Amino acid sequence: MTTDTLHPVAAKYLERLRRAARGLPPDRRRELLVEIEGHLSEAIDPSASEAQALTVLDKLGEPEAIIAAETPEPDELPTGRGTKEWAAIILLLLGGFIVGVGWIAGLVLLWTSCAWTTRDKWIGTLLVPGGLATGLLIGLIAIGAPTKKLCRAIDGGVPHCTNAASQSTPILGVVVFALLVLAPIATSVYLARRAAPEP
Amino acid sequence: MVAKVRETGISQLRRGVLEFCVLALLRDGERYSYELVRSLGDADGLVTSEGTLYPLLGRLRREGVVDTTWRESPSGPPRRYYHLTPDGQAALDGFGAEWTRFRDSVDALLRNGAFR
Repeated sequence: MTTDTLHPVAAKYLERLRRAARGLPPDRRRELLVEIEGHLSEAIDPSASEAQALTVLDKLGEPEAIIAAETPEPDELPTGRGTKEWAAIILLLLGGFIVGVGWIAGLVLLWTSCAWTTRDKWIGTLLVPGGLATGLLIGLIAIGAPTKKLCRAIDGGVPHCTNAASQSTPILGVVVFALLVLAPIATSVYLARRAAPEP
Repeated sequence: MVAKVRETGISQLRRGVLEFCVLALLRDGERYSYELVRSLGDADGLVTSEGTLYPLLGRLRREGVVDTTWRESPSGPPRRYYHLTPDGQAALDGFGAEWTRFRDSVDALLRNGAFR
């Protein structure tokens, strides 16, 4: 069964549904699209008039309404965060400190969980790779680097350091550092709120 | 605002009862998705959007009150046939008894303004 055998009006409807379903977990999305495609191919003969096709679509309802019925109710959400989901959230945030491996483990848990949509998973992956560890590492390098440069050992004397911060307070660096620390925390909160009920 | 609250109430009632209507349709044997959806869609005042029944069928399957088998169709793509599980049968029996009491009380109240 392909969209080629569908009535043009039905094919257009299915395309709208496909787009509206982007936020669903992949297995639910696939299943729903198969069911609706079956419905359309059975209810609308390819040679039917446009009016007949539209009548069937009216009964079927708006794609958005169907997606809303497939999407878990917001008040069901708190029960959806199982051990796996919490482990994923914590590992993504702090796992980077466990030689980086912890973050990878968090990533695996994130992508194998059914509790999040693909979009949520990308957010969890990209904000910020390595979690808090990345922010702290970059922060330490940023603070440490200019200071070291200005430390000079005078022959036979005590090493002399000038205070780098007084020369160029790296406001931009501080902002970037703050973002790198805040972003993973915000992402964790977001993922915790978005976790859908376990199937 | 008040109208909206009422509308939500009706749609919640509908949603709560619909899953048992699916189970009841399967009482006498298996049916495939499109058949189920059309039967429910044709009933007066039961369903506003037939498409929203497909997510409901998926949920019933995940809850284990129905089970499915794919079969070839004489024309077109394979069809997914639904049948009741023992859990589904028990849920339907339980609902049948509750519904009768519920319906009688509400009917009496609407008719007489009192429960008797």
